[in-house]
Amino acid sequence: MSDKITMYIDGRECSGQKGDTILEVAKKNGIDSIPTLCWMKGLTSVGACRMCVVEPHGADGKPSGRMLTACTSPAEQGLHVSTATEKLVDYRRQVLELLFAGRNHFCMFCSQSGDCDLQTLAINHGMDSVRYPYLYSEFENDTTDDRLQIDHNRCVLCQRCVRTCSEKVGACTLGLKKRGWVTTVKADFGKDMGDSDTCVKCGACAQVCPTGTITLRELAYRGRRKNCDAVVDTICPICTAGCSIRVYVRTGSVVRVEGTNVDGPDGGQLCVKARFGLPKSTEQPRVTRPMIRVGSKFKESNWEEALELVGSKLKEGATSGEMGALISSIATDEELAVFASFKEAIGKIKTDSYESRVLRGFYRGIRPFSAQGVRPFTAAHNILSADVIVVMDATPQESMPIAASFIRVAVLHKGAKLIYVGSGKSPFTGITDVEVKDLSDPKVADIMKSAAKPIIILGKPLLRNHTFVTKALNFAVRNRAFFDDGLAIVPMLGHSNALGALNTVLADEPWIDTGEQDFLYVYSSGLVKESSLVLDSMSRAGFTVVQTPFLLPPMTNMADVILPAPAWFERSGHLCTLEGERRQVAKILPPIPGLKGFGEVMQILCDKMGVKMGVPSTSPCENVFTSKISPDQAKPVEV
Amino acid sequence: MAKPKVASVWLEACAGCHMSFLDMDERLVELFKNVELAYSPISDVKIIPEVTVGIIEGGLGNEEELHIAKTLRSKCEILIAWGDCAVNGGINCMRNFMKTEDVLKEAYTDTVTTVNPTGVLPHVDIPALLPNAIPVDRAVKVDVYVPGCPPDADTIAYVFNEILGGRSPKVPASMMRYD
Ligand code: SF4
Ligand code: SF4
Ligand code: SF4
Ligand code: FES
Repeated sequence: MSDKITMYIDGRECSGQKGDTILEVAKKNGIDSIPTLCWMKGLTSVGACRMCVVEPHGADGKPSGRMLTACTSPAEQGLHVSTATEKLVDYRRQVLELLFAGRNHFCMFCSQSGDCDLQTLAINHGMDSVRYPYLYSEFENDTTDDRLQIDHNRCVLCQRCVRTCSEKVGACTLGLKKRGWVTTVKADFGKDMGDSDTCVKCGACAQVCPTGTITLRELAYRGRRKNCDAVVDTICPICTAGCSIRVYVRTGSVVRVEGTNVDGPDGGQLCVKARFGLPKSTEQPRVTRPMIRVGSKFKESNWEEALELVGSKLKEGATSGEMGALISSIATDEELAVFASFKEAIGKIKTDSYESRVLRGFYRGIRPFSAQGVRPFTAAHNILSADVIVVMDATPQESMPIAASFIRVAVLHKGAKLIYVGSGKSPFTGITDVEVKDLSDPKVADIMKSAAKPIIILGKPLLRNHTFVTKALNFAVRNRAFFDDGLAIVPMLGHSNALGALNTVLADEPWIDTGEQDFLYVYSSGLVKESSLVLDSMSRAGFTVVQTPFLLPPMTNMADVILPAPAWFERSGHLCTLEGERRQVAKILPPIPGLKGFGEVMQILCDKMGVKMGVPSTSPCENVFTSKISPDQAKPVEV
Repeated sequence: MAKPKVASVWLEACAGCHMSFLDMDERLVELFKNVELAYSPISDVKIIPEVTVGIIEGGLGNEEELHIAKTLRSKCEILIAWGDCAVNGGINCMRNFMKTEDVLKEAYTDTVTTVNPTGVLPHVDIPALLPNAIPVDRAVKVDVYVPGCPPDADTIAYVFNEILGGRSPKVPASMMRYD
């Protein structure tokens, strides 16, 4: 029996599947005449707003006067509905008027005005006045949280925030309190936002709120979406997940960052670092021109003088001394390739990356599996389809918050079991099934027995040790933990281009931990704090060059020469993400005047050294890491 | 034929709507060829005459404003509510969350910059506050609503054009705004 159904929307024949709602059939057939407010793609429909009403036809083939909410009513074979009869339009306008009369909407000073779905709907329904008495009931403006504000005066109780927080973020912070017209959105069964223990400050609720109720305090009033000078779709440069983001630019600043992958597994959510950190980063003090240390101070210099000095120190180092260069693993594939060619040309200089302990441990640990032709890890979103999640000494809520969302959603909404293995406590309070110290604990085997799609989250402490990595991979192989793309291991590698750095600049043996460099070059993204390992090696070095976009101590205080670098929003290129592909990052703002890119600086330094720099090239990470055999063919290895 | 007359009043509002009206710029010259502005905040006329079109900027917050709204309604054929304050009460309604006594105290004694040692509140010398600031149509019938804070000059021009063309104006979605 076929599941196909045919129905008629405004007289047009439309086909859909059994189980589709009327709205889904309309969308599938390109009909957009049904307005919605509470409905959101990817969330459970709740039918809270009544904007989407349609009129089914009676036996006489005429609109029956009955109304159905299209977002919750199932489509039926042969059903005829109208979407824009006079009755429907008037009904919808009445609903809108009631929403405006019941709460206190003052669009003239609302930060959402011009970006508000409620306002747009009202305007499109010709609401030039409200015929119902205004209630002027007092609602609170919850400003207890320092990031998110909930002005209950503007809430339409659509619950988009509630559903997103539960179904996408898995934090389940928000819910409705009280009933009827005095209902409000509260955190943790009635708390103010600032008192919430469960909110992860991802800001997803603010992104989906169709009104000015939930807003991001520091980003409010910085410009409507349509008044922005540029809107750029790109990739978040912070962690290896590589979430898709939309960046809004106004008067030279990033004023808003939103998740765009609404159809994808993450549902368009972002983490606190991207949503708040990225806009904030555009306001940090910049390094606008080269600077040279004179005693305890810096003097402003120019590129010629500064690079002359760097070149001469590089020459000194090349003839007598130790030389090293560190490049942030937030650098693009292109920048990493330049760096690799630079090393090739100079010869003697050692290179490494930030987070190199983690990367090295991981790299060594996966090698025997890469050698088998299997991709020794999987895309983070596969957590959503796992039935057992083994979190090994990992803190994904810090290193890759989107993975933490996936874990919570898998456990809370899909019934996955959660095992925490580690010396500390599980960061997933209340939803961890067992907490053990070691993988060999019988409780683990007990759960793994019935696991059909297990997945393992490897934390940084383990990644530093290649034996642990190999052991975890063996555990994965023995428990048939794999997805189509590779073995079911999600490593918390950290920075956005960790995988790219691992391919290009990672040193075989550690040298920054102990060695003393006569010459040290540091290329920083300025987006994450430098680790103490990096800072310590700087303090031991004889001469340190820091190329960085932002004037951020303590790193910049420790330099002998500071060179400007392009910030994340001034560069384009590629990042090798955990999701499996090389993703493109786009330039968002024009670079500050006089800026030299990394490639140009490296070229000049090679010229000064009288060496030829080869044409930089990197192999896209797809080629490096793709499984050449089916992941289920992988064999355990000797440890 | 005599030009149709227009009377406009400025009630509880900031005058922004009249400013927006003046923002019609050179289109005003054309407009005044066709209509006579018989009464307005910018003309020195004491008594509202009989007019074709009455325009109210502002909500109604006190007895005097209520009286003016009623008077204008009785003197005009078409009454226009200009701007958010007239249409839905606008920013004036923020005081509806307080008792009128508290509103007066806030304005006349409690404000940091106020010097009023004996705490005198105005009583006979200024019109009494209504319990709530209200949109014009809560007191008198309104024929045309022009929301906006303020409405654009283009929208105001559009409304005049429609009336002069003998049509009953309805602000289209492309021109409608609440801010
Ligand atoms: S939430 Fe929307 S409708 Fe309400 S005041 Fe703000 S802009 Fe206006
Ligand atoms: S910020 Fe994120 S976690 Fe917090 S309430 Fe909003 S959606 Fe939920
Ligand atoms: S806060 Fe926003 S998203 Fe949540 S119910 Fe209210 S209007 Fe809807
Ligand atoms: S969109 Fe269907 S009821 Fe809200």
